[in-house]
Amino acid sequence: MVEQTALNRLAEMGSGFPNLLRARAYTEASLESKRRELASLGEDPDFAVIMFGSWGRGELSSGSDDDWALLVDGPPGEGVEERISGLEGSLGHAERKPGAQGVFGGPVFCDDLIGNIGLDEDRNQNLTRRILLVLESVAITNPELHGTVRDRVLEVYLDQSIKDFRPPRFFLNDVVRYWRTMCVDFVGKERREPEGEKWAIRNAKLRTSRKMLFASGLLPVLLAARFNRAQIRGYLREQFSLLPSDRIAEAFLEFGAIDAGLRTFRAYDRWLGMLADADLRAELEALPREDAQGSRVFRDVTRLAEELEAGLLTLLFDTDLYLQVRDFGIF
Amino acid sequence: MGPLLLSERKSVRAHHPLGASTGYMDEQRGDWQRLVEETLFISPLVAELAALTEPEFRSLIAYLDTNPMLPYRYLSVHAPSKDRQLSDRELVELIGRLPASVDAVVIHPDTISEPEAYASLGRVVTIENMDSRKEDGRDAVELDRFFEALPEAGFCFDIAHAWSLDPSMELAVSLLDRFAERLRHVHVSSVSGDCVHAPLTAEHERLFLPVLARCSDVPWILEAPLRED
Repeated sequence: MVEQTALNRLAEMGSGFPNLLRARAYTEASLESKRRELASLGEDPDFAVIMFGSWGRGELSSGSDDDWALLVDGPPGEGVEERISGLEGSLGHAERKPGAQGVFGGPVFCDDLIGNIGLDEDRNQNLTRRILLVLESVAITNPELHGTVRDRVLEVYLDQSIKDFRPPRFFLNDVVRYWRTMCVDFVGKERREPEGEKWAIRNAKLRTSRKMLFASGLLPVLLAARFNRAQIRGYLREQFSLLPSDRIAEAFLEFGAIDAGLRTFRAYDRWLGMLADADLRAELEALPREDAQGSRVFRDVTRLAEELEAGLLTLLFDTDLYLQVRDFGIF
Repeated sequence: MGPLLLSERKSVRAHHPLGASTGYMDEQRGDWQRLVEETLFISPLVAELAALTEPEFRSLIAYLDTNPMLPYRYLSVHAPSKDRQLSDRELVELIGRLPASVDAVVIHPDTISEPEAYASLGRVVTIENMDSRKEDGRDAVELDRFFEALPEAGFCFDIAHAWSLDPSMELAVSLLDRFAERLRHVHVSSVSGDCVHAPLTAEHERLFLPVLARCSDVPWILEAPLRED
């Protein structure tokens, strides 16, 4: 029997989202395989192997990177390097190597994630790791530590400043900051490396997967304004235990924006289908920026991205959600 | 907390983005640059360049070949629907010459003999529901075979065409039930007794808005000027 997630329920109202549901099944099978493979490393209560990116979104395809990290509950020290060496044999081989920014493929210290929020020490790398831990991460080993650290990050965001029937502002600002940082950094990279590799696919991902990820963080934080202080914590913990696409699908269902939800996920489903197609992916990876607007494949991606964005905007502005967006979304 | 439906709004003018089709701009017909400029008075974001005859379509391709600066985020082209002489494959070859900046090419299903011929165009193909004068492509059952042949094709919902067949609007609702996921844009107008597009009447606006509430995330394109009031 198919699990009745919000995405499944929405899928049943239309013609289904075959690429999304296939990617979920593939992600689940791949996670099980990795868990079996890494079981031989043994458990340690202070370490957890975490996967981010398409692994954490349940959208894995054969071309996905292994965006992994070793979550460390404690200071840098004994055992970390040894553990990392042990993992490098199993994760991030060759073409599955995590991105070159150094965000993944090494240790992530809980103290940094929690202790350095805002100010100079909260560099892009730390911000990215913290937000992605909450929005799109999954444990290969030690899921208890993963859950505990995610809850600890949420606890910091939900400090004494939260109010009844208001979105948690500190958290909201950090989620919005992360999205805007990604957008600014995209251009920053473009300016620094005008001939930069993979411009088209990075642009396409920003317009689609990254935008959906942002929405999957923004929506629960805004919707937390329906609850009192005591309820907000439980609501957000429950929400961030779901896959990002389930959080978004749930919002479309809850606010009755079914048609827009079907179109949003159909567009996203088609994008995932393109990513899973080795030829189309290779074309996007090789496409120089100056040729992008003349490329039918790139134009297809931008059309899908605009449909996806239009659906999300309808959810945010053409339902009662607009009250939260108006009052808290800008300032 | 229920959704604030678009039906609670009182006017089609409140929709965003709302653009114009050049199909009703008779004075400028044939002068694509002037037609484009006319659409900008309605919206710089959305427009439909209507080339309803084959000579018009060829002249549109020639105009777009000059790489004019077009500001639209969504550009639709209406393919020839009158006096068709070209075969489907010949028309597909012509459509293939349109630049990548064209997001949708609207095709009347009753002019299609060989739906499969359009498959190579992928997502650009957009099939419109037909009015009561036509003998095909009017309802979900008749449209199904086109979409089965064209899995990537979009749906252009002409609400006045649906009304011409069923003023109760049940047909309009059934079209959206069936093709909601494929919907790319909406044609908005009233139609006269002989199914000629006409400015949206106040009565039709009231009747159509609850249905159009389901289309709030897609562009609406006016197939006739808005009435003055």
